[in-house]
Amino acid sequence: MASAPGQAEQAAAAPDRRVALLGNPNVGKTTLVNRLSGAGHKTANFPGTTQEALVGRAQIAGRNSTLIDLPGIYALDLNLSESSVCRAVLAGHLAPEGLAPRVPDVLLVVLDATNMLRNLALLAEAARLGLPTGVVVNRLDEARRRGIHVDVERLAERIGCPAIGISARTGEGLAELPSLVESARPPGLEPPHDRAAIEAWADDVYAAVAAPRETPASDRLTDRLDRAFTHPVLGVGAFALVMTGLFWVIFRLAAFPMDWIDLVFAHLGGLVESSLPAGAVRDLLSEGVVAGIGGTVIFLPQICLLFFLIALLESTGYLARAAFVIDRLMRPFGLSGHAFVPLLSSHACALPGIMACRAIPDRRDRLATILVAPFMSCSARIPVYVLLTVILFPGSPGLQALAFTGCYVVGAGAGVLSALIARRTFLRGRSRPMALELPPYRLPDVAHALRVMLDRGWVFLKKAGTVILGISIVLWWLGAYPGAGPSPEGEALRAQATSMTDGDARALFEEADALDARYAARTSFLGRIGETVQPVFEPLGYDRQLTVGVLASFAAREVFATTMAVQVAGSEDIEDQGVVGAIASARRDDGSAIFSTATSWSLLIYYILAMQCLPTLVVTAREAGGWKWAGAQLAWMSGLAYVCALLVYQGARLLGAG
Amino acid sequence: MPDTLTEPGAVTDAVSIPLTQLPRGTRPRIAGSQHNADDAALLRAMGLKPNAELEVCRMGQPCIVALTGACGGGCRLGLSRELADRVLVHAGA
Repeated sequence: MASAPGQAEQAAAAPDRRVALLGNPNVGKTTLVNRLSGAGHKTANFPGTTQEALVGRAQIAGRNSTLIDLPGIYALDLNLSESSVCRAVLAGHLAPEGLAPRVPDVLLVVLDATNMLRNLALLAEAARLGLPTGVVVNRLDEARRRGIHVDVERLAERIGCPAIGISARTGEGLAELPSLVESARPPGLEPPHDRAAIEAWADDVYAAVAAPRETPASDRLTDRLDRAFTHPVLGVGAFALVMTGLFWVIFRLAAFPMDWIDLVFAHLGGLVESSLPAGAVRDLLSEGVVAGIGGTVIFLPQICLLFFLIALLESTGYLARAAFVIDRLMRPFGLSGHAFVPLLSSHACALPGIMACRAIPDRRDRLATILVAPFMSCSARIPVYVLLTVILFPGSPGLQALAFTGCYVVGAGAGVLSALIARRTFLRGRSRPMALELPPYRLPDVAHALRVMLDRGWVFLKKAGTVILGISIVLWWLGAYPGAGPSPEGEALRAQATSMTDGDARALFEEADALDARYAARTSFLGRIGETVQPVFEPLGYDRQLTVGVLASFAAREVFATTMAVQVAGSEDIEDQGVVGAIASARRDDGSAIFSTATSWSLLIYYILAMQCLPTLVVTAREAGGWKWAGAQLAWMSGLAYVCALLVYQGARLLGAG
Repeated sequence: MPDTLTEPGAVTDAVSIPLTQLPRGTRPRIAGSQHNADDAALLRAMGLKPNAELEVCRMGQPCIVALTGACGGGCRLGLSRELADRVLVHAGA
């Protein structure tokens, strides 16, 4: 809304206006916040809770405004964490991280025009709060298509506060939003108190504002799709097909930007090498910073694609149906369909996954899900999966995709089997049944998926720029110091070379340099640590360098590729081969390949199953209610990983794999 | 609760039966529920309130119902069989 210059100055001096958006799940609040704030939004947690909100910043009617997208709820008075977060925010006791708790200046209640009756009940509850309120009736376009007419003006009269009709998806009616926020006022209606009175009020208002209409014919297409997607056989087949397709697309499409990123970092490393004088700073930059960051950022395209495609699927309405397919699959293992969202989130990262477990009503269900969530293949494992599947199946994207999908299946399988053991022993009892809203089937929302992708990609990049950069530098330092001089073998070769012809001498000098590099790596702090611990991993086929990689990734798995890149950077020419190529062709101290077939399989199994994430253990202890749960998780996962990797390595050797 | 199954389409307003005893395509009304307080409150807030009209879209696991009165069949709920078993309905026309 345009304002006069004087008003603009006044507005700039005024404090931020805080606008909270309340509504049922899937009413389009998030789309509305995105529409209003453009790029100016971020996801923030509510401190001390597992809920998160989109927080947007926008100029509304010339005044800086903070928009808080509250968790979607069916009622304010439910005994669920989403409802209690909404109650606390609206009472001024809680705010998303980064904001001080205070009562919002304006409450926007977002209603879905295609589902008015139920939404009106929440509006009646919100009216009891007495906050300056504005009502936004969203999805007018969809309602019109279904023959539903909503009289927004009459609605405003009935509730005694302003109301507008919009379509957040198309942008229809959004121009009226600033004046709605400006004119918000406490509803003038006499708020009904108990649930029966609220429902009676909603029925009454619904009859007055929504055009009376015949009950329409059933939606045959939705019926058929629902029956197919939740069918015991077809549904599972569709789910398997969708997931395989998803990972296949990720592999095919991500390969191109990965190659470009690989090239850029290889050239960057070369540029640093050629433009800086030899010394510690040059080594730190080229072998620590560039190799370390490059080894992580290369996996950004896959992480972005994964989030993009999952968000795309979610926007179609398919995932809610898939939850029931999963419920049927998981129930025999003692997990409920409520565990689907936490376990699916765990495929991005176990932290939000474990935190999402708070939404699981039953304690035993919740504990079992928390304990097995880290078995799901998180995005931090993607770098290792990519690296090892590329090494195992060079030049065969089809087989790589199959193996990649297999990694997810093995992780999920180990998770549900572990859950079964837990539910049959120390978490014995029945699972709580599931109730979910099944949103209408819609065309994929590409803009929403792009926003999710950028949000998650940025989080990953920030982690790469901070935690992983820090670990890379520490690892480089441990690998480069105390700094051994030339190796005795290298010196002997050089002495021998002085009495030879030019061609032969050059070959000997090169061999001497390689010997020196291996000698330096072996005598470095990192090499010594690896050498001490290596016997533990010897039966799994890991040499000193792999042991260092495994140890370094205890704190965070994605560090593995980085660690290997940093270690290999000292002895191989990364510029010529790229990060993945350099790691794949890395050699042991005795000159044999580090990544033999048997070792690569063993390592893949180890990374699928092992608990290698310090933050996950901390969150498990917090969410499950004690360190004994985190300890059990660490011991079980690492023990299982060790035993399975051992069996795979020894089995592969017996079958003749190198 | 009656111990005999209700024929599809039979008018049984005098008695309530579990939702799961109705076949696909029936349009019953909610009579009540036998859930614990938390489940009952959630289902009621989701739209399964007394007297709400439903259409049974899929019977089994899950049981899928459309809230016909409120949103023209566009609003669907999926219930595990266990939950649906405890939703009591008056089987309508």
